Amino acid sequence: MAEYELDCLGEACPIPLVKTENRMKELAVGDTLIVIIDHSCALKNVPEWARKNNHTVEVEETGDSEWEIFIDKSA
Amino acid sequence: MAEEAVVKNLEEAKPKPSSRRSSRRTTARKPKKDQTLQGLVLLALVIAFGIYLATISAIIGFFWLTGIAFGFILRRTNFCFTASMRDPIMSGSTSLTRAVLIALAITSIGFIAVQYGASLKGLPIPGMGFVVPISFATVAGAFLFGIGMVLAGGCASGTLMRIGEGFGMQMLSIVFFIIGSFWAARDMGWWTLNFISNGPRIHLPEVFGWTGAIAVQLVFIAVLYILADKWENRNQEN
Repeated sequence: MAEYELDCLGEACPIPLVKTENRMKELAVGDTLIVIIDHSCALKNVPEWARKNNHTVEVEETGDSEWEIFIDKSA
Repeated sequence: MAEEAVVKNLEEAKPKPSSRRSSRRTTARKPKKDQTLQGLVLLALVIAFGIYLATISAIIGFFWLTGIAFGFILRRTNFCFTASMRDPIMSGSTSLTRAVLIALAITSIGFIAVQYGASLKGLPIPGMGFVVPISFATVAGAFLFGIGMVLAGGCASGTLMRIGEGFGMQMLSIVFFIIGSFWAARDMGWWTLNFISNGPRIHLPEVFGWTGAIAVQLVFIAVLYILADKWENRNQEN
């Protein structure tokens, strides 16, 4: 049940999504990845991608135009 | 200060689905700035400047309002023309593609209403200056623009919106967007003469009639919508 962080601050969409996809492959089931983003576009496609792959997703706005996406790897 | 405390309590009272982000996250995080005052001041300035513009020219005041509304909607909904074209391929998601299609359908109805209204009164049909010839230049230009907007992380509206959001890289995008636009404007005459003007000008109502035009347009959009929906569900099965 490890927790990993993926810092995508300053990276334009679709880079956060590609990085998330690659990183999620390395994680074990039950692990959590926290993706930190500040490009509002990734706020949409990263959670969508994760939900589509049946992971549990939560999004939190942590600052002005900064978000953390929590993804629990479940498959 | 009392209000802040209430908000904080409310946030803490929210059900936490798991324990994982209990302590570490909330302590490590820098506190969120309260920008309510700045927001209210900015809103007042926006209204004041809008009134000032309206005294000069009603249409400029109207542009100011629609521009602000457009930016606000883009920001709050994450509506993005780049993503609508890119996500179907990158992530298999077509929610934005469908949103753009719905927007196009609504706009089509609005445009045809305005144009039909003008033609009923025998007035010149507005917007005919934008019925430009289509040719392979359209296809090639669209393809190049598509590559550019995915690399830059936004089309024109998306880039402007994210500058407002404070995204640094996009400020670089806008500089080169402007350079590119100037360059294109400089060479436009040559392109128009040699390529663009050879294509046909198609205004659907002239081809199909007013009812036919809107029917063809809406059916075409509906077919694209169904295809987009199918594409989304096809990916979910994988």
